[in-house]
Amino acid sequence: MSDLEKKIDIGDGAAIPDPKDRGLFSAWWIALIGTISLLVFLPMFKPDPYGKVLLFIPDGILITFEVTILSISLALVIGLVTGLGRISTNRFFNLTASLYVEVVRGIPLLVQLFYIYFALGRFVLVPDLVAAVIAMSFCYGAYMGEVFRAGIKSIDFGQTEASLSLGFNQRQTMTYVILPQAWRTILPPVGNEFIALLKDTSLVSILAVSDILRRGREYASESFNYFETYTMIALVYLLITLILSKLISNMEHRLSYYERR
Amino acid sequence: MNAADPIIQIQNINKYFGSFKALDDVSLDVTVGEKVVVLGPSGSGKSTLLRAINKLETISSGSIIVDGHDLYDPAEDINRIRMELGMVFQSFNLFRHKTVLENLTLAPIKLKKMSKEEADQLALRLLDKVGIRDRAEHYPLQLSGGQQQRVAIARALAMEPKIMLFDEPTSALDPEMIGEVLEVMVTLAHEGMTMVVVTHEMGFAREVADQVVFMDEGAIVEMAAPDIFFDNPKYDRTKLFLEQIL
Ligand SMILES: Nc1ncnc2c1ncn2[C@@H]1O[C@H](COP(=O)(O)OP(=O)(O)O)[C@@H](O)[C@H]1O
Ligand SMILES: [Mg+2]
Repeated sequence: MSDLEKKIDIGDGAAIPDPKDRGLFSAWWIALIGTISLLVFLPMFKPDPYGKVLLFIPDGILITFEVTILSISLALVIGLVTGLGRISTNRFFNLTASLYVEVVRGIPLLVQLFYIYFALGRFVLVPDLVAAVIAMSFCYGAYMGEVFRAGIKSIDFGQTEASLSLGFNQRQTMTYVILPQAWRTILPPVGNEFIALLKDTSLVSILAVSDILRRGREYASESFNYFETYTMIALVYLLITLILSKLISNMEHRLSYYERR
Repeated sequence: MNAADPIIQIQNINKYFGSFKALDDVSLDVTVGEKVVVLGPSGSGKSTLLRAINKLETISSGSIIVDGHDLYDPAEDINRIRMELGMVFQSFNLFRHKTVLENLTLAPIKLKKMSKEEADQLALRLLDKVGIRDRAEHYPLQLSGGQQQRVAIARALAMEPKIMLFDEPTSALDPEMIGEVLEVMVTLAHEGMTMVVVTHEMGFAREVADQVVFMDEGAIVEMAAPDIFFDNPKYDRTKLFLEQIL
């Protein structure tokens, strides 16, 4: 099987640019230059409201990143455990993991967010941001679980057999042989999930979390400049995801070191 | 264990895949230092037999005792037993994310708690032996098939096993690379290693084997010293097979 076929294709994140596609006029560059130009020139020519919006949302950017990074970290841990559960021969572990994935997959993220947020709020008093992170990572943990499962399964079984035949047990085989290789297959979809999660954090603006979108909404509802506000909000999200997708594609390229002759 | 006892004792093993019988009442003893070559048509159960010896395949019935350890005794630690059994695969199965050197040192460092320096020295010595020391820092996919297989042999040897199992080690190689791998195996044989080798290399079987085992449809049909086996096979099925392959 070629490596291209092996790549896992999950995720509705931004399209991650192909590392080989380095031409100046690639779609990525055009999008980036366009976005930056608009972000610079719109406020220059019309400081009110474009410039004002930009000044209003930096706190929101920080919050968005905070929610994203905390959620993705937790989701990675949950995903690893879930992925291992999904391939485990232990009935109980396997069933629990599968059940979790099925349930999470079947409920819209926004409904889950509300549910966890208000369910949590009923029993324990947690800050809004914490509730948001728990809800996001609970949901994305299930997606990550599928990514990990596919990544682990994409590694040729011969690697496992070679490791076992040397005397490694299952756990050591996973740690020393399979996961370090699976990581390379897992990274692109994880990157996609990361970007998808960053975009989905805009949903938490409905809770009382002051992310980019919520800051924008606050500004728009005071100034009534809806069009200009959401133009800037969209551009800020686009800039962030463009930069992230490039970073991820570079990382992916570096991680394939042992495939290059 | 008695010194004269076989180091591998396989008694009446059967193996089913679902309702398909892959091994049919197979018994085989291998003594210390002995070289057994297993021949047979594709699908005759050679790999299954070999993989049963280090329990990569669990058998349905019968018993396998390796170096005094019953593989199916719950008190035995299969991972310890596997350290005594080196295995070489048709498809090399080198760890693709590790350099050649790291492929050799991973198991000794993690499993035998060998220091990195000591493991490196051992590894370089083995790489020297298989003629590939200058590639120590390369990654497996940067090597030719023949080179990869020699590294795979060295990796197995790095655990200092008592027995080496080979499953068609040259079948995936371009013809011009078969020689370099067989050469390493012949050297190993002359050093006294106990070996069980599944192969289609008749020259190797003739030169190295103490016993040649012929399998068909999951059963051992014939077992004899190579000169007798090749020049005077007893059974028609063996004769037919030899005619086809020679
Ligand atoms: N994991 C498996 N599941 C089902 N059938 C198998 C499996 N492994 C091997 N077999 C079957 O068992 C038979 C013997 O296989 P194998 O030992 O690999 O033969 P050989 O190595 O002699 O070519 C074949 O018919 C093969 O299809
Ligand atoms: Mg085979």
